[in-house]
Amino acid sequence: MKWTIEVGRYDRTAGDGRGEVRSYPPPYENAPQRRYQTFEVDLPDHAMVLDALIAIREYQDESLVVRCACRSAICGSCGMWINGAARLACITKLREVARDGKVTVEAPPSMPVVRDLVWDMTPFWQKNRAVLPWLENKEPVPQGEEYRVPNAAMENLIQEVSCISCGVCVMDCESFAVNPDFLGPAALAKAYRYVADPRDAKTHERLGRYSQPNGVWDCTHCYECVAKCPKGVAPMEQILKIRKLAVEAGYRNNSGTRHAVAFAESVAHSGRLNELTLMPKSFGLFNIRAQLQSLPAAFNMLRAGKLPPLLHPKVPHVERIKAIFKKVGGMFSS
Amino acid sequence: MKVAFWPGCVSKGACPELYVAMQKIAPVLGLELMELYEAPCTGAGVLSEQNPELAYSLNALTLAMAEQMGADLMTICSTCQGVLSGAQYHLTRDEALRERVNRTLADSGFQYRGTARVKHLLWLLVEDVGLDRVAGLVKRRLSGLRVAPFYGCYILRPEEHLGLREKPERATYLEKIIELVGATPVEYHGKSKCCGFPMLTFNREVSLKMAGKHLLEAKSKGADVLVTPCPLCHLNLDGQQPDAARVVKEPIGTPIFHLPQLLGLAFGFEPAELRLNHHVVNTRLALEKVELKV
Amino acid sequence: MIVDHDVIVLGAGLAGMRAALEAARNGVNVAVVSKVHPVRSHSGAAQGGINAALAPGDSWEIHAFDTIKGSDYLADQDAVEIMTREAPQDIIELEHMGVIFYRDEEGKLGTRAFGGASKARTYFVGDITGQALLYTLYDQLLKAGVKVYEECFATALYMAGGECRGVTAIDMLSGELNLIRAKAVIIASGGAGRLYEPSTNALICTGDGIALAYRAGAPLMDMEMVQYHPTTLKGSGFLMTEAARGEGAYLLNKDGERFMQRYAPKMMELASRDVVSRAETIEIAEGRGIDGNVLLDLRHLGRDVILTKLPQIHEIALDFLGIDMITDPVPVRPGMHYMMGGIRTDVHGATSIPGLYAAGECACVSVHGGNRLGANSLLDTLVFGRRSGRAAAEYVRRTSPTATGEDFLAAEQRRIADLMARPYAGETHARLRLELGTLMDAKVGVYRNEEGLMEALTGVHELKRRYGLVAVGDKGRIYNQALTFVLELGYLLDCAEAVIHGALTRKESRGAQARTDFPQRNDAEWLKHILITHNDGGPPRIDFQPVTITKWQPQERTY
Repeated sequence: MKWTIEVGRYDRTAGDGRGEVRSYPPPYENAPQRRYQTFEVDLPDHAMVLDALIAIREYQDESLVVRCACRSAICGSCGMWINGAARLACITKLREVARDGKVTVEAPPSMPVVRDLVWDMTPFWQKNRAVLPWLENKEPVPQGEEYRVPNAAMENLIQEVSCISCGVCVMDCESFAVNPDFLGPAALAKAYRYVADPRDAKTHERLGRYSQPNGVWDCTHCYECVAKCPKGVAPMEQILKIRKLAVEAGYRNNSGTRHAVAFAESVAHSGRLNELTLMPKSFGLFNIRAQLQSLPAAFNMLRAGKLPPLLHPKVPHVERIKAIFKKVGGMFSS
Repeated sequence: MKVAFWPGCVSKGACPELYVAMQKIAPVLGLELMELYEAPCTGAGVLSEQNPELAYSLNALTLAMAEQMGADLMTICSTCQGVLSGAQYHLTRDEALRERVNRTLADSGFQYRGTARVKHLLWLLVEDVGLDRVAGLVKRRLSGLRVAPFYGCYILRPEEHLGLREKPERATYLEKIIELVGATPVEYHGKSKCCGFPMLTFNREVSLKMAGKHLLEAKSKGADVLVTPCPLCHLNLDGQQPDAARVVKEPIGTPIFHLPQLLGLAFGFEPAELRLNHHVVNTRLALEKVELKV
Repeated sequence: MIVDHDVIVLGAGLAGMRAALEAARNGVNVAVVSKVHPVRSHSGAAQGGINAALAPGDSWEIHAFDTIKGSDYLADQDAVEIMTREAPQDIIELEHMGVIFYRDEEGKLGTRAFGGASKARTYFVGDITGQALLYTLYDQLLKAGVKVYEECFATALYMAGGECRGVTAIDMLSGELNLIRAKAVIIASGGAGRLYEPSTNALICTGDGIALAYRAGAPLMDMEMVQYHPTTLKGSGFLMTEAARGEGAYLLNKDGERFMQRYAPKMMELASRDVVSRAETIEIAEGRGIDGNVLLDLRHLGRDVILTKLPQIHEIALDFLGIDMITDPVPVRPGMHYMMGGIRTDVHGATSIPGLYAAGECACVSVHGGNRLGANSLLDTLVFGRRSGRAAAEYVRRTSPTATGEDFLAAEQRRIADLMARPYAGETHARLRLELGTLMDAKVGVYRNEEGLMEALTGVHELKRRYGLVAVGDKGRIYNQALTFVLELGYLLDCAEAVIHGALTRKESRGAQARTDFPQRNDAEWLKHILITHNDGGPPRIDFQPVTITKWQPQERTY
């Protein structure tokens, strides 16, 4: 079968090349511009995008640069943008993504580019390092034998250990796209791997560290990383697990926790969400700066006639809802 | 067609225009809305994060209420849809969870059986009412209006909760509706991205940057207006837009329509009837393109 | 640029990282040089597990005997004793580092069965054991603060006064060729699987370190011993872990027969790899295969076992063949998988060159002899990675730093510049590499004979001649992969020559070397290692070395 592969070409040192130049949409408007070059390849129906790139590199243009090693989603080398979405080239079938036989590949605009499809992973590894991703052994370390832990506790970690550091989650992370300081889904999934390891001695300190700004509360809960991860790591779900554990461990002096508490209080009280009190309570009643920052928006909404009723009515038979809260606990599970 | 109607907290709170617009278009579509006045907030993913069992129980109650009415449940909020779909996904697959939740509900007089489907208005329009029928109801074609769809995360992800594995076309329904009312859909990267609302209280700057960037992109692609099936997205994209513009340091001024407002205009309602005069971002310029006034 | 360290480890897979960690623990300044980021290393692809005699009822002696029998008595028994004796402590250490090994009901380390082993002694993490170990060691490397030169491609060993004093390497991100000087170098750069097409090995397994050591004068040992894994996926050649058979999967021919009952009635599918691969080759050759493959049947294991213990191969078969092993058998064939041979070392990882050490697949201690048992390779990397790390650290204490090397670096820079300037003459690295792989698979595969091996040798000589005409088709300064592919092809050709010479020399059948013209094992003449030493301008020198026998006399090998 004939396939058309359009490759975003780039060279950090040269910047020249052939083909049409395109720029990126916000929030990637500052990403370096690639030149798009088109190749035709003849490959079977079940071929992967990486097969096409290797075929081009080997027989059409040796200057095409792409990282790859295992070709089977183990080494994590070939994360890239395929038709504008982050994927691993080695397990993306051409036929599943081709539009009229054409597939566009490029280095993700959310990341610094080195050359063609090779992007600079330095920021990725810096964040990995920042979560202190190693076991801090719980004492006493058993002499000459293993820690005794239930298999379920180990199996619980396989999901995170399955991460191949391909960076696909980070390259399409919404929060990272506008805030490069965010630790991001991959590093935080790794963080959970050590938080939830029963052999680790620093669980409490870790939870505190990850609750800092640019940590777990900077996840916008959009499921993008869950949808994109090729290995089922579901980073966002690991982030939410850290949030829950951090709150349980007492790290509550942050707007994330206050928001959750206020949310739960409102629903427990009236059955519905009271937007009027949610925001101020989330910031912390004495966080004057944040309160003031949100005032113009509140004023705009008030002017438009959009503010919720000042008297937050309870839903009829709210006792049913209160009974549920009583049985399964409120904000913190019983 | 009778549906158990779950308006969600926001349409009864900070986005009353959504509730009003829905009430206007329902009879036109032949939808008899049986509102679930007694149902609780879905928890918007916030409650499930800290106490999943609580969220499952609250949503099972809502679903059970719809079951008791003998009707499917209709939402008008991507977030409510996502949370209810997610709850149903787990309640269907996890028998032990279902039993625990039903024990929790026992005193309320409700039992969750899983007989009612949960559908957002957007899905209902395409899959149940039918696009042909909706097309026949259009009295005012919004020709020339360039409309950028903005889905909201929770009606798209996670795919397995929302039936997108079986029906991937659900990710294109907004465009279909936009075309059907005679307007032109605007294609842009941000349409399936996050509006930033869930982070508004945690990191206001980042949240508004997300909103601002998507708005600027849609605007740069020529959008006169965005349409969203999610009032939470509306809160960030419309309610916070002046602040978002300050954060991204560029004027925006692109109004955001709720899905029922877009349909309402096509069905011949006047903008004021749909409370299009109660938005933070003025809708005047967009409406003028289709020769309407607020 | 010239930088200095005490010890350089070339390669960042399990052996390399373990060596670096041990050297660091011994207080020397160590740096790792790797052409890929450490976690991209091919160790991550090891699926099934790692062996150790740790469970009650097992012993290092039984493990050693299984290994020696598996090796077809070519392994050095002193080295095997060390590996099997030290295995338990290395497993425990890995557990303490954080590897999430599978547990039994008491929360202790649990095992699975593996080929060629008389006891279930394979410790594992699902079917991502290699990946779990690789990441844990990388995490430990971060914790220890070991310097890693990532994406630095080694072009030569720097030899001074007969000692190895560093490597020259191209920093891919800057395009610079640098000299990284050291008092000792540990090569841990893995195997040369890409000699063969197809192979289960990643595209990066190109024998770089083996060839560099060979060129520097270190003898290679038992290079003819190339393992074909019995279950590699039809077409793509991806590995279907032996753990599948360890968990109870069957091998079937086209008649649905469990044919292994005719070849290994006791161990059946879990006979050692050389035995199963030969059986499959015969079945296919005699017309009982399906389209050049046999079937790996996991259906009776059930959904739960497949999804919890073998999720990765389930995914791979689904992705690449569209076959769901829960409901359908998977077509597999023997495929090149592992090199038992490599740079000859002693049990401390020392090669015959002062200051040069080697560990892991690139080395030959020899613990695998003619055939490696499944789950012994990860063990090999850890035991001998650790031992070479320690030995190198001790060695550098007795050695003083060198201040030379500018000339060597300049010469190497010229060599690369000349290569870059070579005009296009019709030959490309890709075409040559494919021809080489196809030739090796056809003539130096599961079964071999004099005639085929001579054809292979002539073929490789011709490829070497054409290699002299290959141009670098990329003139870019940074991340020039065309350049590294050309250099890799040179490494592969050197390795190929050594493999073929070994196979031609060994006139018997033992382990992975199955000669149709010498079908029997011949202990009287061939119970010895074959050493191949580079010889500038002529055919390599061939030497022999006796096999160390401690307490297990060679016997007939049945499974």
